[in-house]
Amino acid sequence: MIRVLQLVADGVMAGATLAVPAIAFNTMYAVLRFPNFAISGLATIGAFAGYAANVWGGWPAPLALGAAFVAAALASVACELGALRRLRRSGPLAAAVASVALTILLENVVRFGFGNELRGYDLPVFRDWRLGPLRLNPQEIENAACALVATAALFLFLGFTRTGRMMRAVADNPALAALKGIDAGAVAVLASLLGGGLAGFGGMLIGLDASIDPLTGFRVMLSIFAAAVVGGLGSIPGAVLGAVVVGVGEECSLLLLDPAYRSAVGFLAILLVLSFRPRGLLGERAW
Amino acid sequence: MANYLLAMATYAGLYALMALGLNVIWGLAGMINLGLAGFFAIGAYTSALLTVHLHWPIAAGCVAAPAVAAAAGAAVALITARLRGDYLAIVTLGFSEVIRLVASNEIALTGGTDGISNIPGPLRGVLDPTQFNLLSLTLVWVVVAAAAFLLARLSASPFGRVLRAIREDETVAAVAGKPVLRLKVQAFMIGAAALGLAGALYAHYNAYVAPDAFQPLITIYIVLALTAGGTGRMAGAVLGAVLVIALTEGTRFLAAALPFLGAVQVAALREGLIGLMLILVLMLRPEGVLRERPRIRAPEAG
Amino acid sequence: MLRAERIVCGYGSADEILKGADLAVAEGEMVAIIGPNGAGKSTLLKAVAGLLPLKSGAVLLDGVPAHALPARERVRRGIALVPQEANVFPTMTVRENLEIGGFIEPQAVAARADALFARFPMLAEKRRQAARTLSGGQRQVLAMAMALMLQPRILLLDEPSAGLSPKAAETLFDVIRTLHREGRSIAMVEQNAHEALTIADRGVVLVDGRTARHGPAAELAADPQVRRLFLGG
Repeated sequence: MIRVLQLVADGVMAGATLAVPAIAFNTMYAVLRFPNFAISGLATIGAFAGYAANVWGGWPAPLALGAAFVAAALASVACELGALRRLRRSGPLAAAVASVALTILLENVVRFGFGNELRGYDLPVFRDWRLGPLRLNPQEIENAACALVATAALFLFLGFTRTGRMMRAVADNPALAALKGIDAGAVAVLASLLGGGLAGFGGMLIGLDASIDPLTGFRVMLSIFAAAVVGGLGSIPGAVLGAVVVGVGEECSLLLLDPAYRSAVGFLAILLVLSFRPRGLLGERAW
Repeated sequence: MANYLLAMATYAGLYALMALGLNVIWGLAGMINLGLAGFFAIGAYTSALLTVHLHWPIAAGCVAAPAVAAAAGAAVALITARLRGDYLAIVTLGFSEVIRLVASNEIALTGGTDGISNIPGPLRGVLDPTQFNLLSLTLVWVVVAAAAFLLARLSASPFGRVLRAIREDETVAAVAGKPVLRLKVQAFMIGAAALGLAGALYAHYNAYVAPDAFQPLITIYIVLALTAGGTGRMAGAVLGAVLVIALTEGTRFLAAALPFLGAVQVAALREGLIGLMLILVLMLRPEGVLRERPRIRAPEAG
Repeated sequence: MLRAERIVCGYGSADEILKGADLAVAEGEMVAIIGPNGAGKSTLLKAVAGLLPLKSGAVLLDGVPAHALPARERVRRGIALVPQEANVFPTMTVRENLEIGGFIEPQAVAARADALFARFPMLAEKRRQAARTLSGGQRQVLAMAMALMLQPRILLLDEPSAGLSPKAAETLFDVIRTLHREGRSIAMVEQNAHEALTIADRGVVLVDGRTARHGPAAELAADPQVRRLFLGG
């Protein structure tokens, strides 16, 4: 029983961290209307930008996280302006295929610069806290808090600013938004920037817990998709819910499966959701 | 050097076969499939296991492999054929990864990351390396030619026409009474079978299979082969495969010309270039990879 | 004030729905566009609004060519289209919909939204509700209110009563009548030719992508051929 509670607690923590790239994926899907598989490459870029800032530059964690966000955001905008914008005109699938190629490109840019070895951030290691019978890792709690802050910030931005409303309008009805004077191209760049930045931020959060290598983003790829699909493709609150569900599911799967198959749980979740509730838990509303 | 060229030509043949399979799924039926590496892997491991552990003859392995891959294709298609392309993309990508995970972890079955070695090849012990390469090359390209011929006939047949109609507008085809789901599953199975056969041939040629050989990068190679050669035409798939091999191997020589780079950097450079090349090809082909519905749809009433 | 001359356009490269259509709307005038299905009535409005590129022809606002401008720019110049379908943002609240309606003039948004709420109390009641919870008729009113946020020079209405119950349609036509009385320039595509010609000043009959007839609404309503084809004899 304690074991299950522990796994659920671990799962919620993992889910909170996973929520950030999942939100990024769904935000971009909602506004740009295609699954941007470059998200895993962007997460890796973020993780390594943060590493460079932290280990080479000596920056503390919050600033390094900022660097992760900015680097991935810039990379994302470059992808949008360089390739995805033109390809989206042919349709979402051409862009989706290109985004797979982009993720490979981004991953290899990192590999070219940093090699394949595992690297760790230069941050103090905390000992686990005990909350009654449960063991909680302060780093994970900090991650969850960061994720919560990022999510809240995005939520406030979308809900209460003019620019945020503009983005929601494009996500809701792009043709009508254009008719009302909204510059779809500018919104696309903004969505790429935010989505990419969040992906990078999330990538570093994931790496804070353990170590990073060029495959960091790739390893969580399936889990990110699972969180997005389970919550509802294009739904931002859905991404959060989906991430927690997938996180808990993956941890609890340790009761039955080999740890190596954790990602497969995500895939199973995708199949289950698509078979029984294709629109996901929270439907396909963006916000 | 001669052996190297023969080997590269053989690999080109394998990619040609896979591009042909992709052409049925994408070019004809309009279904996106980002999990090509997974079906390739299933074919390779099936034939490897049957011939190494159960001592089946190679030919039998090469028949079982596409059958198993087709079955897997049917399963994937049944679950996703009714869904939008986005979901199909995600599921096929995930599928390929799960296959790789299983291959890496079921050590008892697949040898895990060590893979399966000593896979028999046609007359491997009897011929010297050059002769073996020549024989393999010939066998592979005979299969490619047969597949190209058969699939071209398929494309021109009523089956092919219906698939194209479904690709253009599924609703119209369904309303016209065509069993859309069944046809899409069949198309998927045929494509998966071609991929599985290529996998089996690869296993017997290479004598060794390991999970690392089945990364998403392989899927990108195949997509690049098809798009570079021209989607929709079987001849294009073959041409594209040759181009891709020329490009990927060409980068090997490029890397050799840059001695200040380490091995990892060379690999990264090569892989990155492949990704970049696919993006460029996609952008330069204005008609797009998949003929998707145009953005602005004509209204029903004036 | 607004003139569309010899418009040729369609939806694809081979397509030609409009084969030389004309439209003219004077200041303060309401023009009804009627015609059979597939004649290109909606297409004409979309072409004027800038949603479709012209193969040939011209759109002139106050004599100044507007057909090279993107839709965004035409909105700024005062051409406001209310599309037939998908004319609100479904998951956004009524208030947010109005705010997006006035998007390009942010300073005026609050005041104008309040004025529209005063004018359409039904919308005020539902201001915090998501637009998709509104009934068909209410949605059409919202869509028109959104267009009014920019105080446009001309309103292009694409089949405003489509899909509405007779009562809701009546309410909607009341709104349109009031707007017309206030001096708004309106071009309206309507299947309900009878109602359209009753409210409008002038009418345009579009057949097969071309302007077949045009003239004062009352004249067209009395014309035997028009009566036979569109007004049920």
